[in-house]
Amino acid sequence: MYFQKKRCIAMLLAGGQGSRLKVLTENTAKPAVPFGGKYRIIDFPLSNCVNSGIDTVGILTQYQPLELNEYIGNGQPWGLNKTHCCAQVLPPYERHDKKSGWYKGTANAIYQNLAFIERYDPEYVVVLGGDHIYKMDYAAMVEYHEKNNASCTIAVRNVSLEEASRFGIMNTNPDSSVYEFEEKPKHPKSTKASMGIYVFNWKVLREFLIADEEDPNSSNDFGKNIIPNLLNSGHKLMAYDFDGYWMDVGTIDSLWESNMDLLGKEPVFNIRGGEKDKIYARNNALPSSFVDADAKTVNCFIAEGSEIYGSVRHSIISTGCYVGKGALVEDSVIMPGAVIEANAIVRHAILGENSRVGKGAVVGGAFEPKEKKKISVTSKGSEVAASTVLLPGEMI
Amino acid sequence: MSVLGIIFANIYDSSMGELTNKRTMASLPFGGRYRQIDFSLSNMTNSGIRRIGILSRYNYQSLMAHIGSGEEWDLELQEGGLEYLTPYALAYSSANYRGKLEALNSVLEYMSYGSDDDYVVLADSSVLCNIDIGKVLDSHIVSGKDITVVTKEGIANGKKRLDLAVKLDSKGGIADMVVDYPASADYLASMGLFIISKDLLMKHVQDAVAHNLYRFERDFLLNQYQAGNLSVNIYQFGGVALYNESPAEYYRSNLSILDKDIRHDLFSRNHPIYTKVRDRVPSYYGEDCHVENCSVADGCILEGTVRNSVLFRQVSIGAGTLVEDCVIMNDTVVGENCELKCVILDKDVTVRPGSKLIGTPNAPVIIKRGETV
Repeated sequence: MYFQKKRCIAMLLAGGQGSRLKVLTENTAKPAVPFGGKYRIIDFPLSNCVNSGIDTVGILTQYQPLELNEYIGNGQPWGLNKTHCCAQVLPPYERHDKKSGWYKGTANAIYQNLAFIERYDPEYVVVLGGDHIYKMDYAAMVEYHEKNNASCTIAVRNVSLEEASRFGIMNTNPDSSVYEFEEKPKHPKSTKASMGIYVFNWKVLREFLIADEEDPNSSNDFGKNIIPNLLNSGHKLMAYDFDGYWMDVGTIDSLWESNMDLLGKEPVFNIRGGEKDKIYARNNALPSSFVDADAKTVNCFIAEGSEIYGSVRHSIISTGCYVGKGALVEDSVIMPGAVIEANAIVRHAILGENSRVGKGAVVGGAFEPKEKKKISVTSKGSEVAASTVLLPGEMI
Repeated sequence: MSVLGIIFANIYDSSMGELTNKRTMASLPFGGRYRQIDFSLSNMTNSGIRRIGILSRYNYQSLMAHIGSGEEWDLELQEGGLEYLTPYALAYSSANYRGKLEALNSVLEYMSYGSDDDYVVLADSSVLCNIDIGKVLDSHIVSGKDITVVTKEGIANGKKRLDLAVKLDSKGGIADMVVDYPASADYLASMGLFIISKDLLMKHVQDAVAHNLYRFERDFLLNQYQAGNLSVNIYQFGGVALYNESPAEYYRSNLSILDKDIRHDLFSRNHPIYTKVRDRVPSYYGEDCHVENCSVADGCILEGTVRNSVLFRQVSIGAGTLVEDCVIMNDTVVGENCELKCVILDKDVTVRPGSKLIGTPNAPVIIKRGETV
């Protein structure tokens, strides 16, 4: 087979469990978790790749991959199913030597797929996570990387000093070159937090991945091993400032909040874009949504295929949902195919895909703005029986 | 057994006025996110038909842009798939065919080179339904007749001119067959959907055209039936069938999807209607909007009051605006403080703030594609 040489390809790390999403990722990988009415988390990095002109994407899967693999399919929704463009799912595999098995860490996952990358003989490899909501032009970052003649460029965003101890922090010189990397520092010297988005010179990364694999004490992780090793060997690392919307949706609270950020006349995150920064998603062939004469729909997103007979306020209603007569949905994220029967009340909740809230049932409720969020969550396909209650913060 | 599908894209174009000025009947937008041809195409692919030819005579740019390679209908196939049968595409084809017989005669070569097709399904683009063609084929085979005509009860009313209508006798046999006639309510209206064996169709088409005949229903079906050369099986379709043969019918059909039974019949989960994917965001309903009894596609921004209307993708309705009984096609923007009643706004229309447009159900106001009013 002939593979076209590519200047830049992307490797998308999509194998994480996302255990902090609890029941939502019990049976599915985090990148396949629904978001924003008709998307899944992985649509964001994948669409960013396509919008940045990156047409070859390796997707590393490991944890509960069935749904994710099915969703990615042949890459058609993102236009990645062409002769020389691909979205290639790369699961762990068995090899003739002992250097195989489950992906031990982020760096090991890429190491095990050296052969995939080498087919394209790229100058640059972009390494991405599959758990963030944002729109970004990776091409601009690669250009910055090239202009600065760096070995590695890391996208960073400014966080508050208090937050900084939760992130990998880049300590930089005035020219934005990195002199030190600290993972979750107790006393942060900088507020530039790594976003888990890297551009590498492929030749350099290849050499360091091979060396890292030889090191029995390594955790085979980009943040813990590859980045510090590059710094220690005198390679030039650059920080690339990004000030657009970016959210790590690794927790129930942040997933809920990021969904809510889509709402409002001037939303915190405007997902609506031009043709250049559209987010693509796999489509379900559902008809338009229907809003009944008795329905109330205020400050909400409603996706296609939904039928609304009740009241919806400040919520996301995904594709193919049903809100029955007299039901109330407030401050909630309703994932695809969920059914809320007549006179049920759903507040401050995330309802999983195809889950059901029976007639007159109550899910969640109010909480004080200052106290810790108490989001009620139902898992995929679960059911809150008619006239029963799922308390604020409870999960099934 | 293998079945070839043929869809006529330009039937009734001339009766739709400005709506088909720059497009075919087949590519006329319908029901929020569809084009009319999506129904025939999806019915065929849902029934397992894997080779479909689209006969289009003129104005077909929007049709080809919509269907493309047919990937949304799973028609991007190694074998078979979709074929555009445009004028001059084959040696004997011309743009000057006067009816379906001449149109079919111009593509005999296409019909014959997939020589293993046993049957041909013929469909128009003006009658919309969600039908299991497999059942029609079963009925055709069991009947042992030469041709099956799919019909619908309740369409004939003594006023609407029908291409083809039949009256059945008490035993289910054909008592009368008429063409181009406003048949009375006891007639069944043809839905423009036929099944016939390929060999028989090709033979009759060649023979008819050789005698300077060109109308399928009149010159072939009725003539040959009356001459005793053609046995006819009547299939009565029980589902919803929407006839869009005039702007007023088109307007009513669009609004009819607000009826739950009609909507659920047309858009069955088991037999989806496929269409081109546009990747619009979900629709946003604003703080002060009132949306009542509406069908809303993706990508809309709704700030005003909208009642009993069908909104296509990416429509904006400004604050303080009242929209009632309207059909608003994609990418149209209605400014603030407008009043619209019984209006069809085509694609990419801009309605300036403060405008008032009032039509009636039988004569809806129609604003042409791309206009600013």
